[in-house]
Amino acid sequence: MNILACLLSLLLIPLSLAANPHDELVQLAKAGNGVIRLDERVFDLLTAPKRNWSASVHFTALNPQRKCTPCKEFDPSFKAVAKAWSTVPKVHRDTHFFATAEFDDTIKVFQKLQLNSAPLVHVYPATEGPNAKSSANPFKFDFSNGFEAGPLAEQLSIHTPIPIPYSAPIDWSKFGTFISLIPIVTLIFRFIRPVIHNRWVWAAGTILVSLIMTSGFMFTRIRGMPFVGNDGNWIAAGYQNQFGQEVQIVSMIYGILAASFLMLTIITPYQKSASRQRTQIYFCTFVNFLVFSILISLFRIKNRGYPFKLLF
Amino acid sequence: MPAAYPLPENISPAVVSNTASLLRIIALGLISAAAIASRLFAVVNFESIIHEFDPWFNYRATRVLASQGFYAFWNWFDPTAWYPLGRVVGGTIYPGLMATSGVIYNILHAVNLPVDIRNVCVLLAPGFSALTAWATYMFTRELKDDSAGLLAAAFIGIVPGYISRSVAGSYDNEAIAIFLLMFTFFCWIKALKQGSAFFGAVAAVFYFYMVAAWGGYVFITNMIPLHALVLLLMGRYSSRLYVAYSTWYSIGTLASMQVPFVGFQPVRTSEHMAALGVFGLLQIVAFAQLVRSHISSKQFQELLLASVVATGILGFSAIVALTYKGWIAPWTGRFYSLWDTGYAKKYIPIIASVSEHQPTAWPSFFMDLHFLIFLFPAGVVLCFRSLRDEHIFVIIYAVMASYFAGVMVRLMLALTPVVCVASAVALSSLLDAYLDASKPDATEPDESSTQATSTNGSNGASRSASSTASSPTVNPKKARKNKEKEPPAVPGRALGELVSEVASSAAAAVHGSDEPNSKGIFGLDTRLAVLVNTIGMLLFFVVHCTWVTSNAYSSPSVVLASQMQDGSQHIIDDFREAYYWLRQNTAEDAVVMSWWDYGYQIAGMADRPTLVDNNTWNNTHIATVGKAMSSPEEVAYPILRKHDVSYVLIIFGGLIGYSGDDLNKFLWMVRIAQGVWPDEIQEPNYFNKGEYRVDAQASPTMRESLMYKMSYYRFAELFGGQQPVDRVRGQNMPMNGPKLDYVGKWDVSHESRSCLILLMITEEAFTSENWIVRIYAVKGDDILGRDHKTAQGFSEGKKRKRSKPVSRRKNIGIGSV
Repeated sequence: MNILACLLSLLLIPLSLAANPHDELVQLAKAGNGVIRLDERVFDLLTAPKRNWSASVHFTALNPQRKCTPCKEFDPSFKAVAKAWSTVPKVHRDTHFFATAEFDDTIKVFQKLQLNSAPLVHVYPATEGPNAKSSANPFKFDFSNGFEAGPLAEQLSIHTPIPIPYSAPIDWSKFGTFISLIPIVTLIFRFIRPVIHNRWVWAAGTILVSLIMTSGFMFTRIRGMPFVGNDGNWIAAGYQNQFGQEVQIVSMIYGILAASFLMLTIITPYQKSASRQRTQIYFCTFVNFLVFSILISLFRIKNRGYPFKLLF
Repeated sequence: MPAAYPLPENISPAVVSNTASLLRIIALGLISAAAIASRLFAVVNFESIIHEFDPWFNYRATRVLASQGFYAFWNWFDPTAWYPLGRVVGGTIYPGLMATSGVIYNILHAVNLPVDIRNVCVLLAPGFSALTAWATYMFTRELKDDSAGLLAAAFIGIVPGYISRSVAGSYDNEAIAIFLLMFTFFCWIKALKQGSAFFGAVAAVFYFYMVAAWGGYVFITNMIPLHALVLLLMGRYSSRLYVAYSTWYSIGTLASMQVPFVGFQPVRTSEHMAALGVFGLLQIVAFAQLVRSHISSKQFQELLLASVVATGILGFSAIVALTYKGWIAPWTGRFYSLWDTGYAKKYIPIIASVSEHQPTAWPSFFMDLHFLIFLFPAGVVLCFRSLRDEHIFVIIYAVMASYFAGVMVRLMLALTPVVCVASAVALSSLLDAYLDASKPDATEPDESSTQATSTNGSNGASRSASSTASSPTVNPKKARKNKEKEPPAVPGRALGELVSEVASSAAAAVHGSDEPNSKGIFGLDTRLAVLVNTIGMLLFFVVHCTWVTSNAYSSPSVVLASQMQDGSQHIIDDFREAYYWLRQNTAEDAVVMSWWDYGYQIAGMADRPTLVDNNTWNNTHIATVGKAMSSPEEVAYPILRKHDVSYVLIIFGGLIGYSGDDLNKFLWMVRIAQGVWPDEIQEPNYFNKGEYRVDAQASPTMRESLMYKMSYYRFAELFGGQQPVDRVRGQNMPMNGPKLDYVGKWDVSHESRSCLILLMITEEAFTSENWIVRIYAVKGDDILGRDHKTAQGFSEGKKRKRSKPVSRRKNIGIGSV
C-alpha cells in the first residue's frame, strides 16, 4: 500500500515539477503517511542548500538481504514519530519533513555522505525563513538512549518548530495484567497472610536487600555492566569497577560471614550437648576466618595497593 | 552454678556499678580522643589547610561571618561569584556550619584565646566526630545496652566511611551533620519510647539545626514519618507515638521554615509530603482511637476503621492531585534520580557529572566499612529478634540507607552510622554470650541421660532467682563458690538496668517456646577461640582504618603528595602556586573562567571573580562555559569577550599523570553544553570511532576545541624531540602539538614556534611547575580592529622580530603588578 502510494506519487512528479519543491515534498509526505520515501533526486531536493524547511532523514537498510536487525528494530519508532508529526496543524507540519532513505534506493547518497552504518537519523536544519539555524550542518541523532520512539521524539523536538506531539501508546496488555492481578491478589491474600505476618520473612527480605545493595548491585545496574567480562574473567579490573558476577560472589561471602556470626551468637549457646557445641563453635570460627581471608584476597585483587592479608 | 573461669569475690554492687560507669566515661573519652586523633593525619602530613572544593566556600563565608558579624553574613551578596550575575549568599546556603564555627570562634575569643578562624574551621570536623561518637553511643544504648553503645561509638569514631568526610580541614556541612543526624534519631527514639513531648521537642530543635546545616536533612524528614507509618501498619499505634511524632513534626517543621533557603518548601514540595501525610494520618488514627474507646458497638468500630482508611486514601489522593496541579512541586532532580537512576544522566547531566554522585562498587563498601559490612546484616537479624519500636527504626534505616549508598557514593555517609550501630549490636551480643562466666551444667548426653535443669539466665533479673534452685544439683564446693560469686555478677550485668530488663522481657515474650535459661557456653577453649578470632578482627579493623585514613582520605587535594624513589614525600603544590600567581599578578577585577569545580578555590585562594562555581545553581551559565571550552576558538572568543573574561584557567595532568584533570572531565562539559545547544555541540563529534582519543587520531572537533588546544599547547616542546606522551590517558601525542593561532607569549622573548598548536584568542600567561594548572590570558581587541586570525597571520608572515600587538587588557594586567 505504502509502496503503491509512493509509486503513484512518483508518477505524479512530472506534473508537480512545475510547482516549487516545497509543494512536492508536502505531497510526497502526505502520500507516504508522513514519511517521504527518498530516492537520490528527492534527497537532493529535500536537502537543497536553500530551504526554508527542516527535515529528519532516516538512513536505513530494511532489505532483508542487508541483514540489519537494528534497522528493523528502529523503523517502527521512526514511523510512529513521523505519524505523530503529521497530526500537528498544517502551518507547522509543512515546515519539517520526515524522510526515509533506504540503502538500496540511495546508494549514491550513502556514498556521498560516507555513511557505512545504519540506522542513522540526520536532521537538516532550515537555512532560510523564520526557522533558519545558524549552521546548515545536519544534526546527528545519538542512539545512546536506545531505539525507542520516546527519546527520538524528544530529541527531534529540539529541531522542529513546535514539539512533536508524540505520546507512547498505552500498553493495554500491561494494564490488563494489572487489573486481573487485583482479584487474584485479594484471593490469595488470606493464604499469604501468615507469611506477611511472619517477621522472619521480612527479616530474610531485609537481609537479602542489604546484602545485594552493599555488594554493588546498583552499580552494575546503573552502569549496565555485563555479567562477566569479554575474556571470561569475572573480576573486573580496577577499584571502581565490577561485573555482575561479583555481586553474587561478594554477597554470598558477606552472607556466610554474617551467618557464622549469627550461628555463634544465637544458636550455639542454646546447644545442650557440650561436644556438639564445641564442634559448632570451632567450625563456625574456622569458616569465619577462612571466608574472611578469601574476602581480603579478593579485595587485594581489586585494590592492588592494599598491604594487609590473612591466609592467602 | 558452674563458672567457666573464676570471678573476683566480695565486691559490693555499688563498687561494681561505680567502676563500670567510671570505665564507661574513660572509654568514651578514649574513643573521642582516638576519633579526633585519627582525623589529624591531614594536618600532620600536610598542614592546617582547608581541603577540596566546597570547604573553600564555607571557609570564605565563615571568614565573612567572623570578621563582619552575623547580619553582614546574612545579607551578603557576593558580586564576584557567577559573574556577572552574582550570588545572594545568605539566602542560598545552609548557614548552620558557618554559624557553628562563628559561635566557637567568638567563645574562644571571649575567653581570650586568640585562635585563628582557619584553625577553628580546620578542626571543627574532628571535634564534631567526637560528639558523633557520643551520640551514637546514646542511640545504641537505647537498642541494647551500654557495652553495645561503647562498641558503636568506637566503630563510628574510626570507621573510614565517616572519616572520609570529616578529616581535619574537610570543612563541609557533613562535618556537623552526622552528629545532628544521630542525635536527632536518638531523641526521636527516646521520645517514642517514653511518649515524651520533651524529647520530641529536643528532636525538633536538633532537626532544625540539621535543616540549617545540611541539605541531607530530607533523610530525617522522610525516615521518621516512614518509621511512624510502619509502626501504624504493624498495629503498633500508641499514644507515645502520637505525642512523639506530633511534637517533632509541628515544632520541627515550623522551625525548619525559618531557614531562608528552605522557606516554604515543607508545605510545597514532594520531599516533605510524607511527613505531612503521616502527621495527618496520625491525627485521624488518634481520633478514631478516642472514639473507639468510648463506643462499644462492633459495627460502629468497623465503620470507623473503614472511615479511617477512606480518609487516608482521600488525603493521599489530595496530595497527588495537588502535585499534579502544580501546587506541590514534584521531586527535585537530585532526589528523583535516586529512584529513577537513569534520570540524571538524561536530563540533568550536571548532577550526573559529579564524581560523588556515581554508583558505588563493592570495593568502596569494603574499603569504607571493612568487617562491619558483613557484621551489619547479623545485627539487623538480631534487631528482628527483639523487634521493639526502636529496632524497627534501625531495620528501616538499614534497608533505605544501603539502597541509597549503592546508588551514590556520597550517601555512604548516611549508611555508615546504621552499619556501626547494627554491627555493635551483633558484636556485643556475641561477646555477651562468650564472655559470660556462667556455664550451663547440662551433662553430656553420653555420660548421663538426665537433662540439666539448670537455669543460667543470660540476664541478671532471672538469674538470681534461678541460681538458688540450680545450686543443689551441682557439687557443694562449686556451689559455695558460686554463691559468693553470684552477687557481683548481678549488678555487673544490670548496668543498663532498665534497658536490659525491657530487653529480656521482650526477648522472653518473643521466644516463648524457647528455654531462655538453658543457654551458655561450655568450656574455656571454645570461648578463647571465638574471642581470639573476634579480637583479631577488631585489631585488623583498627589497622585497616588507620591505613585507609592515612593513605586515602587525608589528602587535602589542594596539595598533592607523591612518593620519591627513596620513599620520602614529595609535595606537589601546583594549585596554590597558580592561585597565588593569579592573586598577585592580575587585576583585582579580572574575571577568571574555569570549569565549575575550581570556582570556589579560585574565589577562596586567588580572590578573583569567577564565571561558575561549585554551587551549580545556573545550568545555562555552566553550559556557556562548557560551550566555550568545547568550541573552536572563533566561536569561543565572542563568548569570552561578552563575559569579560580575562583569564582562562585549566587543569592539565598529562605531564605528571594527574587523572582528575579537565580533559578527563571534558566529555561532561560537552554533554552539559549539548543540553543547552544541541545543534552546535554534539558529543559524538568528540569521538573517533567511539573512542576518546587525544593523540593524532583525535577527531577534528576535538582538536579544534579550545580545551584541547590550551591543554596541549607547547606540550610537545617539553619532550625535546622525543615522543611526547600523555601520562594520564597513556597516549602518544603527535610530535607537533596543537597550535594556538593568535598567540603571543606572555614571555615575548620565547620565540620557538615549532609546535602546531596556535592559540588565536588567548595567550599563555602562567603554567605551574608540574603543568597541572595552566592559565591563559584572553587577548583584547586587536589594535587595528582586525580579527585575531588575520592579525596573527599578518605578524607571522611579516617577521618574527616584531612583537605582537599588545592588548589593552594585558596592559591592565601589567599595570597592577
